[in-house]
Amino acid sequence: MLILGIDTATPQVSVAIGGHEGVLASTLSARGRQHAESLTPAIEFTCRMARVEFREIGVVAVDLGPGLFTGLRVGVSAAKAMALALGLPMIGVPSLDLLAFPVRFTPKRIVAVVDARRGELFYAFYRQVPGGIQRLSAHQVGTADDLASELLASGEDNLLVGDGALRYREAFEGLHKVEILDEALAYPSASSLVSLAHAQALREQFVKPWELTPVYLRKPDAEANWTTREQS
Amino acid sequence: MNPSPLAGPGTKVLGIETSCDETAAAVVVDAHHVVSSVVSSQVDLHARFGGVVPEIASRAHVELLAPVVAQAMIEAGVDGDVDAVAATVGPGLIGSLLVGVSAAKTLALVWGVPFVGVNHLEAHLYASFLEEPDLPLPVVVLLVSGGHTLLVLMEAHGRYRLLGGTIDDAAGEAFDKVARFLGLGYPGGPAIDRVATQGDPAAIAFPRAIPDEAYDFSFSGLKTAVINHVRKHPEVVTADVAASFQEAVVDVLVTKTLAAAQQHGASGICLAGGVAANSRLRERVLDTCVQHGLHPFLPSPSMCTDNAAMVAAAGWWRLQSDGPTPLDVGASPNLTLTFHP
Ligand SMILES: [Zn+2]
Repeated sequence: MLILGIDTATPQVSVAIGGHEGVLASTLSARGRQHAESLTPAIEFTCRMARVEFREIGVVAVDLGPGLFTGLRVGVSAAKAMALALGLPMIGVPSLDLLAFPVRFTPKRIVAVVDARRGELFYAFYRQVPGGIQRLSAHQVGTADDLASELLASGEDNLLVGDGALRYREAFEGLHKVEILDEALAYPSASSLVSLAHAQALREQFVKPWELTPVYLRKPDAEANWTTREQS
Repeated sequence: MNPSPLAGPGTKVLGIETSCDETAAAVVVDAHHVVSSVVSSQVDLHARFGGVVPEIASRAHVELLAPVVAQAMIEAGVDGDVDAVAATVGPGLIGSLLVGVSAAKTLALVWGVPFVGVNHLEAHLYASFLEEPDLPLPVVVLLVSGGHTLLVLMEAHGRYRLLGGTIDDAAGEAFDKVARFLGLGYPGGPAIDRVATQGDPAAIAFPRAIPDEAYDFSFSGLKTAVINHVRKHPEVVTADVAASFQEAVVDVLVTKTLAAAQQHGASGICLAGGVAANSRLRERVLDTCVQHGLHPFLPSPSMCTDNAAMVAAAGWWRLQSDGPTPLDVGASPNLTLTFHP
């Protein structure tokens, strides 16, 4: 079963295709804010490099976020369109899972951290389990200081990964038992997406295109302001 | 024009429109035969905010687009056998546009058919052709919506001359603002249209602003006049205010459009845009055209407001004249119509 994976939830655009033989081809570009321009040619190129016809694809997987709202929507919209056009099932994987997955071979607790802009971070905690990773917490939104206090309180060895960890490096660097991974692993990749989605596909954990919703972790400003106004 | 073999008789175009707060898809054959047209309005999601909230609109498009496209295809009885996919690339809300553009390019890629990026304003101009495919050119098009007020001379397909526009508020914006002030709710156009039927359009003589440039419009003074009048006469009947305000807007629109049509020897007048669904404007354009021997081209209200059939129609013409749009385009939120000097 061939899986096409699309990841545009960060400044990067990444597409991969693969299945039980692993990843057959992948592309990655990182010019930022060019998601819609890059994605369609990237899908075309990746499939051509893998010598895969669109009708051979069996599942469309997509990074659900959290991440950059606009980028995320470009990818989710393209993924849904592809699933619709080819009559395929879909698999959505959260971006934080994708960050934790490639660094799973560690006894430490993994902390996946995405830069949420506006001085905030999206983060979650993970641990390696046989065959993959396990999320230990719900997705959280907070400042670097919030996360730093959580890390201190845990008393565990923590491995931080993601662009959020790098952006707020000063907040974490001095902390005891905290290690920060470098740029090479700072963004989720479509290759990880294909691997994680493949495991889910074997368990037939599919959704329909109209059931798939991005993970924003934040209300639109207008709605948040509205709620505040109603309550005051 | 260098005709492209990509668009011709029988060409079936899937259109997609997500530039503002309508999620729409349609299948149109030969640029005028509407096989299906599905519009999912988000108006209820935005009503409590009194206007379109971009982030809410973008999120809703992501949820609604796949079902809307699926329904348009089911209703048209097509299963991927379309000949081209057209989508609005601008102008509009960037986040909303990208949802449609991204989906449309992917559909075109997977089906192996051309993608066509469509200018939303040009799409509105093509609404008239959906019902009058042989509409004789040149025509003068009055494009009035919440975001735009343009008077355009359409000389040939893809060939336009800008005759005038608004120097302040768009016509639809004036309706929204006055409706909000009168407590009539959102969206303001349909609300005022409804209430105005109960009122006297001659009750209050609101000013008819005539800016220096012959075919330009101005609505902000009128809006202020309405507010001042109601503050001075709190006992005034709201329906009379709505009817008189609407009459003032329609008067200016119709007078200038007629003058433009006569000066440029147009065969007729086309209405386009959301405000073109206003019943009084339609009535007045119809009367005026009959009086002056001009053809009235009044697309049905559902084709005046944002829809994807007009996008598919404009896409057919663009495909014929320019060929496919490369798949590495994005959205152009500030796109304007291309005018010839
Ligand atoms: Zn419009």
